[in-house]
Amino acid sequence: MLRYDSTSSSAGSSSGSLSSSSSSSKPPQQDIDGLLAGAGYKVRSSELRQVAQRLERLETAMGNSPADFSQLASDAILYNPSDLACWVDSLLTEFAEPPPTCSSDFIVDPVNNQTVVNSAWTAAEPHTPQVHQNITYDEQQSLDNQLTVVTAMEEDSGIRLVHMLMTCAECVQSGDLSLATSLIDDMQGLLTHVNTVCGIGKVAGHFIDALSRRIFQGMGGGSVNGGSAFENEILYHHFYEACPYLKFAHFTANQAILEAFDGHDCVHVVDFNLMHGLQWPALIQALALRPGGPPLLRLTGIGPPSPDGRDSLREIGLRLAELARSVNVRFAFRGVAASRLEDVKPWMLQVNPKEAVAVNSIMQLHRLLGCEQTRNSPIDTVLSWIRGLNPKIMTVVEQEANHNQPGFLDRFTEALYYYSTMFDSLEACRIQPEKALAEIYIQREIGNVVSCEGSARVERHEPLAKWRRRLSGAGFRALRLGSNAFKQASMLLTLFSAEGYSVEENEGCLSLGWHSSPLIAASAWQAVPAWDNHMSSS
Amino acid sequence: MVENHSREDHETGGENKEKRPKFFINDHVDILIEILERLDGPSLCVAASVCRLWCTIARNDSLWENLCFRHVSPPPSSVRSVVLALGGYKRLYTGCVRPVRSRLGRVRRATWAGDEVQLSLSLFCVDYYERLGGSNSNGRLVEKSSPSSLMFLCKPVNV
Repeated sequence: MLRYDSTSSSAGSSSGSLSSSSSSSKPPQQDIDGLLAGAGYKVRSSELRQVAQRLERLETAMGNSPADFSQLASDAILYNPSDLACWVDSLLTEFAEPPPTCSSDFIVDPVNNQTVVNSAWTAAEPHTPQVHQNITYDEQQSLDNQLTVVTAMEEDSGIRLVHMLMTCAECVQSGDLSLATSLIDDMQGLLTHVNTVCGIGKVAGHFIDALSRRIFQGMGGGSVNGGSAFENEILYHHFYEACPYLKFAHFTANQAILEAFDGHDCVHVVDFNLMHGLQWPALIQALALRPGGPPLLRLTGIGPPSPDGRDSLREIGLRLAELARSVNVRFAFRGVAASRLEDVKPWMLQVNPKEAVAVNSIMQLHRLLGCEQTRNSPIDTVLSWIRGLNPKIMTVVEQEANHNQPGFLDRFTEALYYYSTMFDSLEACRIQPEKALAEIYIQREIGNVVSCEGSARVERHEPLAKWRRRLSGAGFRALRLGSNAFKQASMLLTLFSAEGYSVEENEGCLSLGWHSSPLIAASAWQAVPAWDNHMSSS
Repeated sequence: MVENHSREDHETGGENKEKRPKFFINDHVDILIEILERLDGPSLCVAASVCRLWCTIARNDSLWENLCFRHVSPPPSSVRSVVLALGGYKRLYTGCVRPVRSRLGRVRRATWAGDEVQLSLSLFCVDYYERLGGSNSNGRLVEKSSPSSLMFLCKPVNV
């Protein structure tokens, strides 16, 4: 937007000689802007600001409804563009750009480029808006593809919601529960004005629930974390299918483990969270095809005990064994049932000193971080016995977020930003019920971060930089993940239909993010041999 | 002489081998295989509906093996036993290699050709594993009969 010096326009009569298109038969008007006149446009200086504003509105309207724009291109009747003010106005009435006080939703179907008006107009300005009735969509598809284009009012509501969430969190931190409660009521009222199918409304809803749980039920929050192991496995599986974070984790870790096992004939993988064992088929297949033939593979899977007497760990082990048998890989499985990782003792793993060991932790180490930094906190104990195993490689994948800060407001703010980004990325998923169950999975995480404290709060995510410090301090050194892992991760992401995922390499670690906000980070580590040990390098 | 000849042509149609002097592809199965080997996936499926002979040939897994490794240097022989154990080359191609190739085709890089197959094999293996779950478990809600792990490779269609 150019700035016009009003003094220059008063000399318009002298610069008016530059204009070529203004009709010479008209008496030169004193307040026609000289600079624009030189470009062939006649605009009064007094109207400059209004015309500029209307041009901006026109630009927004054109961006919002490209279908109309193409219609306009074929429309022959247009006002003379050199009379810029009239031209802009005529185009604006064509686009029927909504007055800012209107409360309606525009839904733009990005695939078909059609505009569908969701709710009724309440026009405040005299000129009647045109309602576009191009409704040739498949209802199911439009429900899936809905991208809400925010009008000024709805954007307002979204921003207000975020502000209220922050204020409420601040009240909770300072202990002003009565104000917090009234804010919760207000927010729930505001939610009805906001689209909760996608975008800020959906995430805000989960955070409001978590906050109210914190206020009303205290910080035990048992119901949040107390889903049965079976439920958790199902939700985890659907989270695996719906978005690439876990696939990225598995494939990257497998690539690192495969490279570390090169040349070894007896290998042992310790998985800190077996779930359905979805990570291991690909490793088994890769080992089956490695030049030189497959090694003897032992897998020790750690998981929660099954309540109803079913041995779910053993069932997974049998399935993996059947796969291994089909591809001719010698395989042995061992299940270790433990409800908490810190209950596992190294003797339970029965590591053979001659075998190459890989320790695999997908989003498990953060559960060991207690809030107090005591001397023998669980994380230190576990890291030291891992080190005692002298693994060839330890693969660590963790959420790239800072959700373990002592101050509640800081934690809340971080979580709001992190999970909004994650929900955004989930919008691209089109398969149901995977998407819905994946959202419940994330919702449970949110609930734990926001409404739980003390030992109940297990989702204590820390960013990669902190993990680097912690692991280096515990006697590990970082292994670079290598270009093969990066290439594989990039290929994997390209397969997902969404365009926003990005892989980044950061000092040998890979992170996967949505629109350059990293959400999950993978790294590989090796134990540094202790100095007072016999100096035998492996 | 000429009239006799043409009358016999009309009478016998296309399948009488002895009297028909012209070249008929079904008589030369080795050439037919050579031709079918060079088709792409969809064309091979169409070819399978031409006649019984073509159907039998098109079902032969080695044709699909050719498709999978067409633009790649020949893989080690151990790959074959693995792929056959996991469900065969036709399944590998239609379920994994083809969608992977078409998706990555948008950002095709020459160095990725071999890695595409590697990645397809890994995804194929995960898919096999999930299918195993469907047959083994009774009363568990998790496993579906359709290969859920490969759903993300399907074009975005209403599911």
